[in-house]
Amino acid sequence: MKLSIRTEGEFTIATIEEARMDAAVAPELKNHIAQLLTDGKTRIVLDISAVTFMDSSSLGALVSLLKMVGNRGDLVIAGAKGIVADLFKLTRMDRVFRMAADVDAALGMVAA
Amino acid sequence: MKAMILAAGKGTRVRPITNEMPKPMIPILRKPVMESIVELLRTHDVREIVVNTSHLAPVIENYFRDGNQLGVHIAYSYEGYMTEDGLEGKALGSAGGMKRIQEFSGFFDETFIVLCGDAWIDLDISAALRWHKEKGGIATIILQEVPHEEVHKYGVVKLDEQQRIVQFQEKPKPEEAVSNTINTGIYIFEPDIFQYIPAEIEYDIGGQLFPALVAAGEAFYGLPMDFQWVDIGSVPDVWAATRMALQGKIKGFQMPGKQVKPGIWTGINVSVNWDRVKIKPPVYIGSSTKIEAGAEITGPCMIGANCVIESGAEISECLISDYTRIGGLASLDNKLVFGGDCISPDGNVLNLGETQIRWLVDDMRRVLNPGDIHDMLLFSNMLTFQEVQTQEKEAA
Repeated sequence: MKLSIRTEGEFTIATIEEARMDAAVAPELKNHIAQLLTDGKTRIVLDISAVTFMDSSSLGALVSLLKMVGNRGDLVIAGAKGIVADLFKLTRMDRVFRMAADVDAALGMVAA
Repeated sequence: MKAMILAAGKGTRVRPITNEMPKPMIPILRKPVMESIVELLRTHDVREIVVNTSHLAPVIENYFRDGNQLGVHIAYSYEGYMTEDGLEGKALGSAGGMKRIQEFSGFFDETFIVLCGDAWIDLDISAALRWHKEKGGIATIILQEVPHEEVHKYGVVKLDEQQRIVQFQEKPKPEEAVSNTINTGIYIFEPDIFQYIPAEIEYDIGGQLFPALVAAGEAFYGLPMDFQWVDIGSVPDVWAATRMALQGKIKGFQMPGKQVKPGIWTGINVSVNWDRVKIKPPVYIGSSTKIEAGAEITGPCMIGANCVIESGAEISECLISDYTRIGGLASLDNKLVFGGDCISPDGNVLNLGETQIRWLVDDMRRVLNPGDIHDMLLFSNMLTFQEVQTQEKEAA
């Protein structure tokens, strides 16, 4: 899967460059982000603004990652829209994750 | 008197609903719009009705059959072919469909009415007919005024002082529209109209026949009438019509079932522990549906028949079709759940199968598999974990 990583201050911004987040990319996504955590990068903003489709397995991968982050950092979801945002709401995961409209808003949230 | 109901359209703007049912069969609170039209026609003593069908024709034909149960005679003019793969529709256009019936039997031998099968109306047909006869034109179009910004969805007409139609524009841009008086898709014709309709080709009433009448200088009239006209031309329209019906805003609309509490209607054989569900009216709950204790339903909401709303589910301003199970973890706000899709009023479609959230919302007759149960536990544990954390933080 295509994923770009950049650092802004103490935050790591991971941008998903795939339109579909489904069972085919879920394990890889989980490995990539888990590696960031292992490397001590625990304040993560995941930019999914390019994603137009997400399924239960990818959302499940994000849930597992959120558990890994636990109290030692942040995992903020930025830029969910359309049916991707709907999926978070339907499953109530919008109440579990910190959700931001875009990366800037996410950085504002975690800095606060 | 005789009528024709136009029911051959594909309903592309109402997909995915029209993948399963043709537009005239889309119900407003359980009753297909076309059934309301047939009832209205009967009220005005129109008892011989030919329906042109094409897309998903059997759904219409199997429902209305010969019309006997509604006190009318119904016949069908099917537009299409039977192929190796089954029926393949080939619609002839609204005017082409009329011509085909006329060529077949000369059915239209007196003043007749033609109307679209996809809008709820309470038009005084008898009054419109009297007006048409007084004017003596070859055709009368029933008109309505709409806000100027909505003209692009309709056929716009310009009338002279005698109410003759002098110009006809099909779906103009608002800045180019000659008026905000629009064609409602309800017409009264004299049999002479057929001289203007070519045989055996696709021909449209709004796009071709009326401009041809204008060009020929034929006298035909527009009658603006004040009546309720609830169009269901798109997914947002379906949702708006359902809301209006629930809120009592469709004059003369008969609510189905019985009112068990103020603003709450149900069918029969429902299983609801009223003391332990939170319900805010207006809500309709279909027959054989179960609402488990701990569910929350906020109206306007329509829940179909044979549904299961599990404990903990939150449903707010939704239209849920028959045989749907809504899992306890689900939170549905402004959604239409229909045929395996979860549709937003703006037309965004989330397919429940493709998204693999059948563990959350699905056909209630499907048995959950181990994968569903795995996902359900993963998400439900996370939610519980998060709630406990929040409580701990608040306590600290």
